[in-house]
Amino acid sequence: MRSKCYKIERLASDYIDGTLSEQQTADVASHIRSCRSCKREVADLKKTQHLLKNFYVEPEASEAYYAQFTTHLQKRIEQSAPTALHQRFAAATTRLSWQLLTQVYRYADRFRPSRFISIRQHTLPYYVLALAMIVLIATPFLLTQISMHNHGEHTRLSSAGVQPAVTLAIQQDKTTTESVGIRRNVSSERTTETPAVDSGSDVWKFTDEPVVDGYILTTLHKDSSDTMPSVALDIDSELLAYAEFPSQSAIWARRTSRDVLTKGRYALLLLRGINTGQQALQQYKRKRSELKGFSQKLLDVPLEMLSVAAVHDPIEL
Amino acid sequence: MDRTEALLIADLCEGDETALAPLVERYKRMIYRLAVQITKNHADADDVMQETFIKVYRSIHTFRKDAAFETWLYRIAVNEALNFVKRRERRRECTFETATEAEYEATARYRAQLANDPQAQAEKAELRQYVTEAVNSLPLKHRTVVILHEFEGLTHAEIASILNCSEGTVRSRLHYARKKLRTLLKPYVDAGAI
Repeated sequence: MRSKCYKIERLASDYIDGTLSEQQTADVASHIRSCRSCKREVADLKKTQHLLKNFYVEPEASEAYYAQFTTHLQKRIEQSAPTALHQRFAAATTRLSWQLLTQVYRYADRFRPSRFISIRQHTLPYYVLALAMIVLIATPFLLTQISMHNHGEHTRLSSAGVQPAVTLAIQQDKTTTESVGIRRNVSSERTTETPAVDSGSDVWKFTDEPVVDGYILTTLHKDSSDTMPSVALDIDSELLAYAEFPSQSAIWARRTSRDVLTKGRYALLLLRGINTGQQALQQYKRKRSELKGFSQKLLDVPLEMLSVAAVHDPIEL
Repeated sequence: MDRTEALLIADLCEGDETALAPLVERYKRMIYRLAVQITKNHADADDVMQETFIKVYRSIHTFRKDAAFETWLYRIAVNEALNFVKRRERRRECTFETATEAEYEATARYRAQLANDPQAQAEKAELRQYVTEAVNSLPLKHRTVVILHEFEGLTHAEIASILNCSEGTVRSRLHYARKKLRTLLKPYVDAGAI
């Protein structure tokens, strides 16, 4: 093959795609007019491309499969929700410990003395290794305990007959429906209002928590009940939020700015374009079934957008 | 990117999960087609598709608004599919040689189409099967480029962006893939069966 033909052959694929420069295109066209071999090369590539475009069968799944796919995807997203940092760290440490243990065991096995020799004189390294492994394996457990200890206040409250706490981000400078029994706490530059009192037999009240990153963390205690308190928020007549509580880890997560607002621990749904009252509740119910399990970062909600207009019992909802 | 899609993406960025479903609905067929052609396996393609949309859901905030969403989606899907195939090969659970095209549902559907199609004459049916098998027999890198260029209609630059390689590499792979296909399809090319 002549060197010119070799160059043309390298350009043939781009030539049939029409991606060569004008000069290169002219060169190839000129060459194939005078070279039968290269002309054949280009013609064969064109035929091959034509075969591909006209006779290749593109795979396609059934409509039933596509219909089920979205449901499966939603389940996957729920299952793969992010977990708390300490849980991930604990899991990673456990995995690492076991891997290390396996490797050390294999390594030590190579130097194991013959069974006819007393192993007593070789036991010290094994004790050291065993101790190191115990420390590694115990670390995740200890970390979990420390994390729980940080939330111990709620546990103690619970055992003393005071129910666990609820965490909410609430704008404090808007009017609240009186019947919901909310004491409107404030940060230092805002005024405090005394709570209205009662909603049925349950007394709900908010207590102060520090401001974190522009959000007021408010703790809701529910007296004389073993049920987990829940609350629905009608926000500026546009947003409806519903949250189920409590979550010790949610409080912990807020303090560390982590998003661990996952199904079963903390769920918040934000609905847009919703009016007020019954319509909002209906929208909420519909959305709740549609979006079951999805989590939403409460931290992403600007404080100014939130105000409490109503608190509903979760059973009513 | 049309306005509706831009709005959906903006909503998803702001944490509105309801915006994901319309995007999935719009692109699921495209992603499936791509995934099943690369993995050559329906079950694997399903996994790739799910991983792709989960990544979209989690990483939408990294998407640059001035870029084409479709290309971004292609990049995620292709990389997921390629990684899936590489992992599968490492595990040696299912190699390309054993994962024939018969494994995915599409082939059965295609055969049913042929059986029901009065115009699907025997010769054309054979040619279709031959061409499809020829493409499936290409090495992974070459097959990916052929799929993206010939069937998905992407340009060299777009493919280079998706595969994170140079345009020259894309051209080279396409060139060798076509030469290989020409050899495989030689009887039909020579006979002018077009």
